[in-house]
Amino acid sequence: MTTAILEARGLTKSYADKIVVDRLDLSCRRGTVLGLLGPNGAGKTTTLRMLYGFVPPDAGSIHYAGKRFDEDRTEAKRSIGVCTQGDSLDYDFTVAQNLLIYASYFRPRVENLEGRVAELLDRFDLAEYADASPHVLSGGFVRRLLIARSIVHRPSVLFLDEPTTGLDPSARLDVWELIDSMRAEGLAIVLTTHYMDEAERLSDELLVIHEGRKVAQGEPHRVIDTVLGDHVIIVPRGEPAREEIAAWLQARGAEQVATVLGELRVPVTKQDLVELTARFTEATWQVRPPNLDDLFIALARRKGRFR
Amino acid sequence: MRGLKSLTAVADWQSWAVFRRNALVFLRHWRTAVIPPAMEPVIFFVAFGLGFSGYIETLEYRGVDINYATYVAAGLVAYTGFGTPYYEALYSAYFRMFYQKTWDGILATQVELPSVVWGEILWGAVRGMVNISIVSVVIAVFDLIGLVDVKAEFLILMPFLGFIAGCAFASFALIFTAIVPAIDHMNYPVFLIGWPLSLVSNTFFPVEPQSPALQALMQINPVYQLAETARGFLVLGDPGPHLLGLLGSTTLFLIPCTLLSVRLTRRRVLGD
Repeated sequence: MTTAILEARGLTKSYADKIVVDRLDLSCRRGTVLGLLGPNGAGKTTTLRMLYGFVPPDAGSIHYAGKRFDEDRTEAKRSIGVCTQGDSLDYDFTVAQNLLIYASYFRPRVENLEGRVAELLDRFDLAEYADASPHVLSGGFVRRLLIARSIVHRPSVLFLDEPTTGLDPSARLDVWELIDSMRAEGLAIVLTTHYMDEAERLSDELLVIHEGRKVAQGEPHRVIDTVLGDHVIIVPRGEPAREEIAAWLQARGAEQVATVLGELRVPVTKQDLVELTARFTEATWQVRPPNLDDLFIALARRKGRFR
Repeated sequence: MRGLKSLTAVADWQSWAVFRRNALVFLRHWRTAVIPPAMEPVIFFVAFGLGFSGYIETLEYRGVDINYATYVAAGLVAYTGFGTPYYEALYSAYFRMFYQKTWDGILATQVELPSVVWGEILWGAVRGMVNISIVSVVIAVFDLIGLVDVKAEFLILMPFLGFIAGCAFASFALIFTAIVPAIDHMNYPVFLIGWPLSLVSNTFFPVEPQSPALQALMQINPVYQLAETARGFLVLGDPGPHLLGLLGSTTLFLIPCTLLSVRLTRRRVLGD
């Protein structure tokens, strides 16, 4: 196992006496994707903003390649690429010029910049738009240009803040391929997303935060197991024993009984499932492995429970 | 310490990278960016300087009688030197910050926020230089044809005086850029501050307040000092004490305005 190129310990940030991020630890290694997950307001964006230096943490430390971020921000920022959630392209310049002007904000200067820009235009399928204004680009290509721009200076760590939000399924898959290829090249990538399939497929490790604190961390399937358990049962809307099943599960300590469009969704253990099957012999339900959607729903319903 | 870093950021390469970005955009659109704003002071000169000179034959300036058009010519240097960086740092910077999100992109690099602010200050001041250069050419032409009587060799200094004061005006404007909630609210800094300040600073007519407090305020007003320095050079070839006054008032304006605009912009853009 290689050492972490990004390492943060005890990150804490408060706004107006409200703790937004609370003693959060995280790390990311070269050639891996760390998925940072959590419901809206969990503290993901504040965490990212501390990591790339937009706001200073109230407490805690951030190290890039073993060096403290706050001791030499300029050097540390040379190794960071940031692809913000919002469109921050420079619409006063063409597609190629966006890459060139962005590279001018880094020192030491990017070696063989013309070649690097040509390489990125080609790799991100942007070559035919090189001399066009970014205004002509579709949402998917805007996102490609934002990502290409964020790595023009050859960083070691890349932050991708919801990189596929608003894209159609085809464009999302294209972005996934790009992320996967950047990981293969050895970039350490910190990814935030609301798409659970995206997080599951792309992340080598997940860090789930809720109300500013870590809820679970590890490989995607382990994280799900930790928070949810072995299975999720889905009791359909028309099942006569639906209420009785819910009451029975709650009596056994099931905390995350969720109703989605009239269906009952409950994470259960293997033992629960065995006993449920024995008790409700006439009832019908589906059983499937838990996924990150279940995790999000569970977290949203647990609001305040982790404090 | 943070305040000192904000001030010394003017020398950082990052500030000049932001400046360069704005300069490159300007060079791409220089025709549309230069001609309309440069026409404004020319129109003012024709309307006020030449228009009123039929009614006001001469004014006394430091013991010398000068015609009104000559008086206004120097005032136009100050008017342009104030207005160009002030409005550049209000409107153009606001567009870059709020609508185009240009600063968000820049701040995701090695460029820190004080450098973004300095880049805008320097750019506003250089835009002032450009427009003052055009106004200076117009004044030189009017001098040649006898509409004004100035020491034309000193016109070469005008853009540089404008740059010095322009830094103060741009930093002042960036305070409002950081706090106005929407573009419509720019009317406040424009009409309540910009217009009055550009008119009551010995630009188009002499202002001689009796109150010692107002007199002191005049002395620390960089627009007034710019107008009087320009007039001193163009009429007498000697700015008198106003060159020192310009440097002093600019410094007095620039330091607190820069510190405040960095602080307010940080809060607005970074939420810190």
